[in-house]
Amino acid sequence: MTQVVVAAGLVVVAILLSRVGKLGLERDLAITALRAAVQLAAVGAIITLVFDHAGLAAVFVAVMLATATFTSGRRLRGVPDAPWRAGAAIAAGAATGLVPLLVSGAFSTTPRELIPVAGILIGGAMVATSVTGQRLVEQLVDDVAAIETRLALGVPVREALAANVRRAATTGLIGILDQTKNVGLVTLPGTFVGLVLGGASPADAARVQLTVLLALLAVEVMAALIVARLVVAGVTAPGERITRPG
Amino acid sequence: MVAFDNVGVSVPRLKTEKLTIARGGRTLLRGFDLAVGAGEVIALVGPSGVGKSSLLRTLVRLDEPAGGRVLVDGIDASELEPCALRRRVGLVMQAPVMLEGDVRANLAYGLEAHDEAALAAALAATGLDPEFMTRTARELSGGEAARVAVARALARDPVALLLDEPTAALDSASAAAVETLVRDLADRGLGVLVVTHDEALADRTADGLVRL
Repeated sequence: MTQVVVAAGLVVVAILLSRVGKLGLERDLAITALRAAVQLAAVGAIITLVFDHAGLAAVFVAVMLATATFTSGRRLRGVPDAPWRAGAAIAAGAATGLVPLLVSGAFSTTPRELIPVAGILIGGAMVATSVTGQRLVEQLVDDVAAIETRLALGVPVREALAANVRRAATTGLIGILDQTKNVGLVTLPGTFVGLVLGGASPADAARVQLTVLLALLAVEVMAALIVARLVVAGVTAPGERITRPG
Repeated sequence: MVAFDNVGVSVPRLKTEKLTIARGGRTLLRGFDLAVGAGEVIALVGPSGVGKSSLLRTLVRLDEPAGGRVLVDGIDASELEPCALRRRVGLVMQAPVMLEGDVRANLAYGLEAHDEAALAAALAATGLDPEFMTRTARELSGGEAARVAVARALARDPVALLLDEPTAALDSASAAAVETLVRDLADRGLGVLVVTHDEALADRTADGLVRL
């Protein structure tokens, strides 16, 4: 209980800092913290049940995917069929890591292993999709003069947007690249901490963490590339033109 | 209201037939006819918002017309592959954007096959020294960037050039140099369509004038 009280106090600190710094994030911070508390309490209540029933586990993974799709889809503001494009990127990205890990037997398909691993990979794919997609959409507005200059020089839309795609994907992958580079030196990721707190040996925890982190590299690169490709397709009009999002 | 004054019609490099342009539910041009012949400079003048820049964009299919058609050397532009059309008809936008890298990279951008001599010739045609090739494009002055933008279009070996307010942001010396360049381009056999709000510039450089 002490842990929750201290953590709640830190949320108040974050809200006060936002007010002092005039960031305007006070409401977002409060809602985000409350939402996290409700969600984790709910998961805590049902996870035992889910761990015991494979059918419920599949539903749980589907809910994770749907929620991630909704979250990332909102970042692709103005792009036609945004949720479908975000969902395809997240699913393809997560599958890139999950399928080999399950098929090879690195992790079992029991709910107790499937759910946490799928959650981490879908979460990673969601972040890469959101950041890459949002950055690309912003550039389609801010950088439209340069994009149309390239089009006017006679290159197809895909080539005219290549530099923007590269910039967006680079931004979208900064998190996982920095996290992987600095793991153990600056950060101790959640999987490692959770396993150690749960009683696993540090060596075992490190092995599992490394597996997940390296899988996330492939997951996030795939998600970033797919969402970029799908956003480009979404704004490409007949005649090698772009339609601005909005 | 469209008025024609001494518009040449010989062997049009670029021609519009009953072109209609609409933006945001508003019709900017309706049934607009224009012809720009080889070696001709046609100036398009008119107040802001009348549709001059929209016309240039439509001529290279960055926007689609609501009606009518565009002909390039007698070929319907809608039948040309869009990228090929944009190489044949070079559009130099107002306040042209320099791309990443040096001037050479700008001239060669998107060209699958090119030789250095062709790039050098395009640069020379705009009156810039060969040493400009290695200059960082985004560090050029307004007048230099305007010329590099023209050279960039010329490197694609176009039959016509569309210049949108080419002197608007330039000092008088640079503007005079660009005016001379416009005439030189026409003397090379290109059809040149210049959008400007400056009628004096149009009088000095153009063979024909179209008022919108």
